[in-house]
Amino acid sequence: RGFCVPARPPSTRQLREADEAAPVFQYAGKAARRKDRVFVWGFSYSGALGVPSFVKPDAGWKKPRRIQPTPYRLETEDKISSAACGYGFTLLASNTRDITKVWGMGLNKDSQLGFQRSRRDQTKGYEYVLEPSPIPLPLEKPQQTRVLQVSCGRAHSLVLTDSEGVFTMGNNSYGQCGRKVVEDEIYSGSHLIHQLKEFDSRVVQVVCGQDHSLFRTKKGSVYACGWGADGQTGLGHYNITSVPTKLHGDIAGVNIIQVSSYGDCCLAVSDEGDVFGWGNSEYLQLASVTETTQVNVPRHLPFKIGKVKEAACGGTGNIVLTEEGNVFVWGYGILGKGPNLTETAEPEMIPPSLFGWSDFSPDTRVAHVRCGLSQFAALTNRGELFVWGKNLRGCLGTGRLEDQYFPWRVTVPGEVVDVACGVDHMVSMVRSFT
Amino acid sequence: LNAAPERAPRQQVRFLPSPAPGGGGAVELVAARVPVLADHPLVRGPRFRKLKIGAGHRLDVKASGVFVLGIGHGNKLLTDLYNCHLTKVYTVGGLFGKATDDFSDTGNLIEKTTFDHITREKLERILAVIQGTNQKALLMYSNIDMKTQEAYELAVKGLIRPMGKSPPIITAVRCLQFALPEFQLEIHCLHETQQYLRKVVHEIGLELKSSAVCTQVRRTRDGVFTVDDALPRTQWNLRSIQEAIRNCQLKVETELEKTLA
Repeated sequence: RGFCVPARPPSTRQLREADEAAPVFQYAGKAARRKDRVFVWGFSYSGALGVPSFVKPDAGWKKPRRIQPTPYRLETEDKISSAACGYGFTLLASNTRDITKVWGMGLNKDSQLGFQRSRRDQTKGYEYVLEPSPIPLPLEKPQQTRVLQVSCGRAHSLVLTDSEGVFTMGNNSYGQCGRKVVEDEIYSGSHLIHQLKEFDSRVVQVVCGQDHSLFRTKKGSVYACGWGADGQTGLGHYNITSVPTKLHGDIAGVNIIQVSSYGDCCLAVSDEGDVFGWGNSEYLQLASVTETTQVNVPRHLPFKIGKVKEAACGGTGNIVLTEEGNVFVWGYGILGKGPNLTETAEPEMIPPSLFGWSDFSPDTRVAHVRCGLSQFAALTNRGELFVWGKNLRGCLGTGRLEDQYFPWRVTVPGEVVDVACGVDHMVSMVRSFT
Repeated sequence: LNAAPERAPRQQVRFLPSPAPGGGGAVELVAARVPVLADHPLVRGPRFRKLKIGAGHRLDVKASGVFVLGIGHGNKLLTDLYNCHLTKVYTVGGLFGKATDDFSDTGNLIEKTTFDHITREKLERILAVIQGTNQKALLMYSNIDMKTQEAYELAVKGLIRPMGKSPPIITAVRCLQFALPEFQLEIHCLHETQQYLRKVVHEIGLELKSSAVCTQVRRTRDGVFTVDDALPRTQWNLRSIQEAIRNCQLKVETELEKTLA
């Protein structure tokens, strides 16, 4: 009888009153900073992803996760500035002045993660490290030195500091750690971390190949040590080298600004944009200059693609990025231009429209390129990550287990700043959006 | 329409009797062209009593912009245009600071938030992510096997698009204006509804750790038809409609040939 009136849609005045009476919530203040995060994906049983619940689930009914096909966030205490993926293990390094600067996880059968004291038996070490564990470095000034970069090879790893040279650990059966090869040395559970300081100037970049190490100094010269049967040490012979020795050949006197290697082939970029290569050439990586399959002296690769800014070497394929932002690939394997292109000796360009370039966003370009053993990764200036190549145990992060024949965008909840590619897993450093 | 001059009545040849040239009452049959009586306007009546009008892609009550209609035989072209799966362009206006239940500014208020931490750079970053994920969806729903060489070639040219049913996909987003708390976006999309675009505005607000409502949705292009071809309310008369049909005919034909060939 007029007591209950059906609700009418709110009039403008009622809307305005409700609007003014409502409380205002604040989710982010003006000084809210973007957070830095680490995402991992790929094969997890080696512990390289650093998530123990993938290998040993915390509840009885849960099943262990063999492959993580999409990016998974890894919680870290400090901001990780550099990461490297080896063959079944990962190293994370932070730029801090605290005592723990480097964390490692994954395989530790050759002490490539240093000595991780086992809790059950205090004399032995862990062979598989499932969580990011701190690596104790024998620093003289642990509260002043900063770790600049880490790099991982098949069974050894290198840590570059700003004032105390390079620390090497892991397998040394080919002298890749830069110290004399000891016959029948047992590498598992070893406490030995070797320090390298004798270079002509400060070392600014360290790169690990499969069983060799490359050091680039500030003056632009390159030193190498380790296995050389494919000529990857570039020293003019095919023997192993146990002390870092300077490279000559076509790079003598040239100011090298970047070196790269992951398998048995190596590439170097000079400040004038020239590319030099040496090492294994069985997959046509250096076939543009020579027919031989092993090149043990650095040779200049006369490509007419423009000034090269960055190069990355994989197991069978190579990729370079030019100053204009174009990406060129050559070698063997899934190169990124469809299933028909499997091998080429001359660089082929990947069209920029595959990396998000269009008439709508003409200033999208590739900023960095990285290489895993048989995968390629490209980072654009918009913070997007494109991957392609052989999808070994889900390492591409696309969510599918099939190989990817052209660049595919990986969905990461953030802006990708850097990515490290390994054999069957990848680690990326990401900044959140807001 | 019915007042326009009609086509001439059909003619037929009939043999009519007419007096013979010679004398007498003999009747000869002479062939003559005579209009058919059934075509006479008084017999037949007005030519058009009703018109079949079909509508193109839906436009809901709160939105505005280009709305495509087909008349008579043009309805068949409408189905063909639908199967072309061309993109539509919308201008979407949004307002930060409020969240309502139906994502537009006339709904019931749910929450109010601060928005002074939002900058144009953050908004553009979110838009880049939206574009990237929708690009992936575009490739996935186009039902092409990713392992073939033709998939690679289409992806390079940017011609991969879903040729069947698919959820709404945004092919491109751009920020046109940004003046806190208001902003305006230009969205190119496929298979969408206007409510989906309002939802996208709401989700952009959530991503930026605030909230947003949609104030305006205006379609500026629907396939080949742009705002310049569209007739405003003042021009809803026969002459302008006929002229518009004539202007668009060529465009529609070329587009259909290109896509459905």
